[in-house]
Amino acid sequence: MKGDAKTKISYLILGFGQMVRGQWVKGIAFLTTEILFILYMVKFGGTYLSKITTLGTVETYKEGRKTVYGDNSFHILLFGILTIIVIIAFICIWYLNIRDNLKAEALLKQGKKLPSNTKVLRSLLDENFDKTLMTLPVAGVFLFTVIPIIFMICIAFTNYDAKHQAPANLFTWVGLDNFKELLSFGTQGMGMTFFKVLAWTVTWAFFATFIDYFLGLAVAMLINKKEIKLKKLWRTILVLTIAVPQFVSLLYVMKMFANDGLINGYLMKWGWISSPIPFWVDPMLSRVMIIVVNIWIGIPYLMLITTGLLMNIPSDLYESARVDGANSWQAFIHITLPYMLFVTGPFLLTQFTGNLNNFNVIYLLTQGRPQSINLANNAGSTDLLVTWLYKMTINDSNYRMAAVIGIMVFIVTAVVTMVVYNRLPSVRDEEGFQ
Amino acid sequence: MNSEKKIRSGMKKKKIFGTVMAYAVLIIISIIWLFPFVGLTLQSFRSYDPNVEYGGMVDYLIPKHFSLDNYRFLFSGETNYLIWYRNTLVIAVFVSILQTIVILCVSYALSRMRFKGRKLLMRFWLILGMFPGFLTMICLYFLLKQFGLTQAGAIPGLILVSVASSGMGYYVCKGYFDTIPKALDDAARIDGASRARIFLTMIIPMSKPIIIYTALVAFMAPWCDYIFASYVAFGHDASYNVAVAMTRWVWTNDYQGYFTRFCAGGILVAIPVTILFMALQNYYVEGVTGGAVKG
Amino acid sequence: MKKKVLSMLLTAVVAGSLLAGCGGSSAAAPVQEAPAEEATEAAAEETEEKEEVAEEAAEETAEEAGEEAAEEEKPSATVGDGSAGDIKVWVADAVVDFTAKEIEKFFEANPDYAGYKVTVEAVGEGDAAGNMITDVEAGADIYAFPQDQIARLVAAGALETVNPDVLDAVKSENDEGSIKAATVGSELYAYPLTSDNGYFLYYDKSVVSDPSSLETILADCEAAGKSFYMEINSGWYQTAFFFATGCDLSYETDNDGNFTKANVTYASENGLNALKAMIGLNESKAFQNGSAIGEATNLAAIVDGTWDSSAAQEVFGDNYACAKLPTFKDASGKEYQMSGFGGFKLLGVKPQTEEDKLAVCDALAYYLAGGEVQIDRYKEVGWGPSNIEAQNSEDVKSDAALTALAEQLTYTIPQGQYPGDYWTLATSLGDSVRNGELSSSSSDDELMDALSKFQESCESYVQ
Repeated sequence: MKGDAKTKISYLILGFGQMVRGQWVKGIAFLTTEILFILYMVKFGGTYLSKITTLGTVETYKEGRKTVYGDNSFHILLFGILTIIVIIAFICIWYLNIRDNLKAEALLKQGKKLPSNTKVLRSLLDENFDKTLMTLPVAGVFLFTVIPIIFMICIAFTNYDAKHQAPANLFTWVGLDNFKELLSFGTQGMGMTFFKVLAWTVTWAFFATFIDYFLGLAVAMLINKKEIKLKKLWRTILVLTIAVPQFVSLLYVMKMFANDGLINGYLMKWGWISSPIPFWVDPMLSRVMIIVVNIWIGIPYLMLITTGLLMNIPSDLYESARVDGANSWQAFIHITLPYMLFVTGPFLLTQFTGNLNNFNVIYLLTQGRPQSINLANNAGSTDLLVTWLYKMTINDSNYRMAAVIGIMVFIVTAVVTMVVYNRLPSVRDEEGFQ
Repeated sequence: MNSEKKIRSGMKKKKIFGTVMAYAVLIIISIIWLFPFVGLTLQSFRSYDPNVEYGGMVDYLIPKHFSLDNYRFLFSGETNYLIWYRNTLVIAVFVSILQTIVILCVSYALSRMRFKGRKLLMRFWLILGMFPGFLTMICLYFLLKQFGLTQAGAIPGLILVSVASSGMGYYVCKGYFDTIPKALDDAARIDGASRARIFLTMIIPMSKPIIIYTALVAFMAPWCDYIFASYVAFGHDASYNVAVAMTRWVWTNDYQGYFTRFCAGGILVAIPVTILFMALQNYYVEGVTGGAVKG
Repeated sequence: MKKKVLSMLLTAVVAGSLLAGCGGSSAAAPVQEAPAEEATEAAAEETEEKEEVAEEAAEETAEEAGEEAAEEEKPSATVGDGSAGDIKVWVADAVVDFTAKEIEKFFEANPDYAGYKVTVEAVGEGDAAGNMITDVEAGADIYAFPQDQIARLVAAGALETVNPDVLDAVKSENDEGSIKAATVGSELYAYPLTSDNGYFLYYDKSVVSDPSSLETILADCEAAGKSFYMEINSGWYQTAFFFATGCDLSYETDNDGNFTKANVTYASENGLNALKAMIGLNESKAFQNGSAIGEATNLAAIVDGTWDSSAAQEVFGDNYACAKLPTFKDASGKEYQMSGFGGFKLLGVKPQTEEDKLAVCDALAYYLAGGEVQIDRYKEVGWGPSNIEAQNSEDVKSDAALTALAEQLTYTIPQGQYPGDYWTLATSLGDSVRNGELSSSSSDDELMDALSKFQESCESYVQ
């Protein structure tokens, strides 16, 4: 314990030193935090924290016809995590408080004046403006993103499923059992299915990203041609798919291609086919359809993006190419494409990882169907890992396995990102720019 | 002279042919792109009244009788359609405004200020973004419930969740701020302007396109929010948004023959979003292009 | 101009709320921040609201949304003042008004229960179970659900057993199948509501000449270029084939909703015959997969239930007809009568922490599932009663769809308890048939292999 008496008291009573030294704004802020923290721990957090190792032991029981609920494992885990985060945050603040005290002490010893209260407040709009700007957003992310993610990671190590649901039943820690189950092969095991779904997820992301990219580029170049009039009209038509909410357009498209839908109906009426084309029934065909429909959604984005970028390519590059006798295809291969790939490298990467988790398109079009007797845990042929895990939670309340798959999705995404990101030429250059 | 002319006219012919082909491709593309929307619109004018026409799925495109029954139904108050619509609009407006504010704050701090843990924070947020969000919904539901922001309070709850985690979407906006020369800031600081003043009176007025882009993207997202909104609002019809309420008309057996009503409702949802989007399209292009380059 | 206004507005708003929102202490702990954030939002909302409303006329209504929504909701209905507490009731959209009316009658007849505020919400029966399981606490106190969800609900602790005082009455008043459906282990967990969750054949008289044979129906449909609908990738409709050939598929449960034993004989000669019949159906040109008239096109015949009878009358008009399910033939020419499930809708009460409220909920649920209300419900929306007396009433007996159903029910098996996984597994089997993984060109071994996998999976759900 360093510092004088005022500082030492501040080890216990936060903000004491500051208040005694006249910095009551800071002092009150620290003290309020401490009081709130203590209140939180006593009134709310403490009980949850004490049970987090077992996730509750008191069973729900009946008293006559009345139900008396026991421990709620879900709440214990959730608020236990919250409490741990709160404690860590408090320790940080406590440390800041001590550091601030020591600093003030040193300043006074050197005979300098402490900054006045108004100055402290004003600094929040100037040199400490970052604290003002970042506090709420960072806290928001912690409360509504970080805690839920920690929670879900924890769920992967519990037996929280249909048979162990709060509040009527308890669940508890089970270690690595769920991971073992995921990698179990054999007739009932999930292993084969997991890898099949994973393979389709990656295939889908690959096609969805690159087909859209090249077609979008092609359409953008087409509209950019000098001879084409009404450029704005063409772009506007395409952009409709971005503007109309997907739940409207995709659900309609889904119905349109149904076995008894509009497309099959007309084709049969015109006598082109005798039995409906099973767009959403055949596993292969439905996969192709999803990629095709995704082109319909994806091209407009890519067109917008590439249109702007194409204009940035210095036109003298093309001029000199033409002088050298290159035709337009050669110009595209040697100038346009390298430039575009260079500039949009990071974007393609985020597109790819985004498509790995592209829930809406799959769910609104097929909900992962068609299913197959050859896939375990009700996976379907068009299921991505994310839609599969979503269905697991909704239909089967199988949270533990869903959490395991969630972690796997994270690992896949993170590995792809890390391997590719550092190899992107534009990233290395941008680093220099920054 | 003569031969050159010939070559030119040959090239001209080739060019004309190319142009015609280009137009043909564009027209075909436009038909494909517009077809579902035309279909949607036509279906929305098919009556669901059995005496006039049949309201379920049919295998023809053009209604036999033109009718406004579906729209009348939506406005009649038989369902909560107007409330759902209003809910979605309220969410979209507030999310759009608040999210823009949060993103501007975060982007400015990350672009202009150098504080401890800045790099760490950015990397941490990047990693967070790789977790699939669907799993966290049940957890968010119970967190919101603790604040009383589910079911009846679902709308502020939905706004809160979208806004609270929006800080992580700073990339595009920060990229834009990075392109504003720092020399401007330095000059203003020498003149005695505080950071806050620079932010409010210099940077923000210069960032009109990116502000509009951010607000537009944020405004459009809630119209599609089906999954999380259904989680938070379940069992409370008056808290649904259009997506939650109307997907029932397609997916649930309780609502047979609602297909044309779904189409009509969808059209009404699409109109304002589309108009807004079209009006602000240029800003959107600027935003996505900038975002694509920055990654 | 509009763009300019919008951007200026945004700037102003950003500026305004920054001052309001970011002035707080930077040293606050997360505990404090969550509410603080809300407060900030509220503050920001207030200042922004007026400008926004001016900006877009359509948003005029926006600001009252929060407060007013409660009074305006249409499909939900409220009864009573709420001095003693709230009771939430979930029923399908079609019967919300009806249920609210009946609840009013109930409180008129039982003034000593008064003081509860009852809210009726439209929550589809399929969604009800999922929502109840997500959060029992926020779920309804009384809710209707299809019987296939009962084991899942019991396991999740979302169902209270039927009040012992009326247990015998409920058991004697309702048909045997419905009681079996509402029983898990040896406990009765729910009040039977309807006994019409079975399926039969709706058809177009002008197209289908003889509804008693599947082969004829398909031939007629093919000749007329029309469709025959049956949802073969549903575990519910699929059993029409398997039970017809004599396969068994049933589970035994304990009182907590756990499955203790599976009796499955799909991997057998009988199962093979059934599967082949399904494949044969799937390969007919006239076949379409589906069981909702609202979504069917070019329809000539459909395997569907009573809930679609009005839709069927609409579609077929004067040619509306219904009958029991047809027969089908196997390769050797042996004929089987299609069977299937007879299912039930149930009304459940959530476990309660207060005795008084439980007593009201029990009484209310018993009333809503009672014979008279069942007759009224039939008159209102056409749901076939499970109450024996109601079944024998004149109105019910003269209903064509219900008569067809009653005839079909003699061939069916009352649906017992099945694990949730069974339904999705059956969808997988059906999808495998539909997408041609299992087709008429598959060898018997391949088909048998699929059936063995199916049976193994079914057995694996027992723990």
